[in-house]
Amino acid sequence: MNDRLRALYKTVILEHSNNPMYFEKKEVTQFVLKAHSPICGDRFEFFFDIDDEVVNNLSFYGHGCAISKASASIMVRKLRGQSIRKALTICAEFYNYVNIESALPEPMDEEFEAFSAAKIFPERKKCATLSWDEMSDFLTKYQNQ
Amino acid sequence: MFDVTKVKADFPIFKHHPDLIYLDNASTTQKPGAVIDGVKNFYEKENANIHRGFYKIAIETSKNYQSVRTKAANYLGAADSKNIVFTSGTTESINLVAQSFLEPRLEAGDNVIISAMEHHANLIPWQMLCQKKGAELRVIPMDQTAQLDLSGYKKMLSEKTKMISVVHISNSLGSVNPIEDIIELAHEKDIPVLVDGAQSVMNYEMNIRNLDCDFFVFSAHKIFGPTGVGVLYGKEKWLKKMQPIQFGGDMIKEVSFEKTTFADFPQKFESGTQNLAGVIGLGHTIDYLEKFEKKEVMKYLEMLGKYAIEKLSAIENLKIFGNSNHNSNIISFNLKNIHPHDVATFLAEENIAVRAGQHCTQPAMDLLGIPGTIRASFTIYNSTDEVDKLVKSLKSIQKFFA
Ligand SMILES: Cc1ncc(COP(=O)(O)O)c(C=O)c1O
Repeated sequence: MNDRLRALYKTVILEHSNNPMYFEKKEVTQFVLKAHSPICGDRFEFFFDIDDEVVNNLSFYGHGCAISKASASIMVRKLRGQSIRKALTICAEFYNYVNIESALPEPMDEEFEAFSAAKIFPERKKCATLSWDEMSDFLTKYQNQ
Repeated sequence: MFDVTKVKADFPIFKHHPDLIYLDNASTTQKPGAVIDGVKNFYEKENANIHRGFYKIAIETSKNYQSVRTKAANYLGAADSKNIVFTSGTTESINLVAQSFLEPRLEAGDNVIISAMEHHANLIPWQMLCQKKGAELRVIPMDQTAQLDLSGYKKMLSEKTKMISVVHISNSLGSVNPIEDIIELAHEKDIPVLVDGAQSVMNYEMNIRNLDCDFFVFSAHKIFGPTGVGVLYGKEKWLKKMQPIQFGGDMIKEVSFEKTTFADFPQKFESGTQNLAGVIGLGHTIDYLEKFEKKEVMKYLEMLGKYAIEKLSAIENLKIFGNSNHNSNIISFNLKNIHPHDVATFLAEENIAVRAGQHCTQPAMDLLGIPGTIRASFTIYNSTDEVDKLVKSLKSIQKFFA
């Protein structure tokens, strides 16, 4: 294995993709948000409630590559129980790690940093951002309603 | 004797990427120097529009363009060059048949039959048309070994079946479909059949007149030719009756503000300035292919396919989809618990180009209950050595993810 691959498939990512957190399908939540990549075939569903502007009971289910699954798992853990405003700040923070234009923040979030290799594998960037794109889009729209 | 080292030397891409192991041939093939030079030569020495010039290079190009029609007809074993319509590729060929041939014949309550393993290009055009006309799209089922269910097919044929369109060799699973039987059964009921030959045109001992299909379509870029050019073969009795769907220059007999009469087929389907360089390139492609003894090529590819299946099957926790008795050179597989995209990224780092995903056949993947596969597709410049390297890499990927 070369260093580039080691950078992309960090232990954090392998752990989360093998044992994703809050990985369960729920029948009765207020919202079910779908994230689907037609090119890859990756498909996730996010289940959650929003009470008093707070994202509650967030879980997810579905299939995708190691990167997209780990990313979804980490997102779910980070956004659970956060206010919409705070959740959107966390999303913005995440993008700093994957967007080529942005410099890596200091100090670094170790889990987010694991996705920064998307900068050297541009064809895998969508795997890292799929869930975040859908979620931040949804929350932004919800907030502006 | 088929000498793969010599064949590989025909393809300049491997001079620029000596380490490249290109196993994505079902997606598009590399181009031999003869085709690249042919296109370059056309632009440098012969470039002019066809049909309308009185000067030397225009006359020359018109002649060469038409001669590719003859070459394509001979290559397929068609009766006449008139049976060959140039298009931009398989996709356009199928859409043309759907809109120009079937649309006027299809009525509410009719049905169209396709198979469960169609490329989206041979699914959506029929689906759209059926929706528009209130007709039914029937799908020949396939089993878990990716074989079509012929008895199911027999049962779905009816008086109301107006068209059958099936893929010959599946691009995502490699299955070689029993196209001869499908055609024979359809013709017993006078139902026309389109064969999607995108993957089979050079990997099959084929003669279109023996096959007796009504339409046959393929893209040049999958048989070492340029992108953006393809062929629609049609029987004369159908092409004659079909109305063009695109109108403009070069496809008319006479035009006034009141009325237009169209040129004869195939010209009436080739409106506007065509992809001249592409068609010329297709001519060089066929010349290149005809330098080989087709039997020898087929023998080599069969050996290579068998070798790859044997070596891949020996890997633990590797599952091959489809039927390993098929003799196509498309092999679709997965490694247990490792997503196809992760595998493809690892292979890419070792300069092994494969495809990972649904291969434009989402319904077939859904039927098999998988999110996608890794697809290795082999052709004349691939070797057993490359298969060995693929196998070695796959094993090291398994080790990493274990
Ligand atoms: C079986 C099959 N049909 C249709 C197509 C579409 O061909 P094109 O994109 O050249 O129009 C392909 C190409 O992937 C194919 O493999």
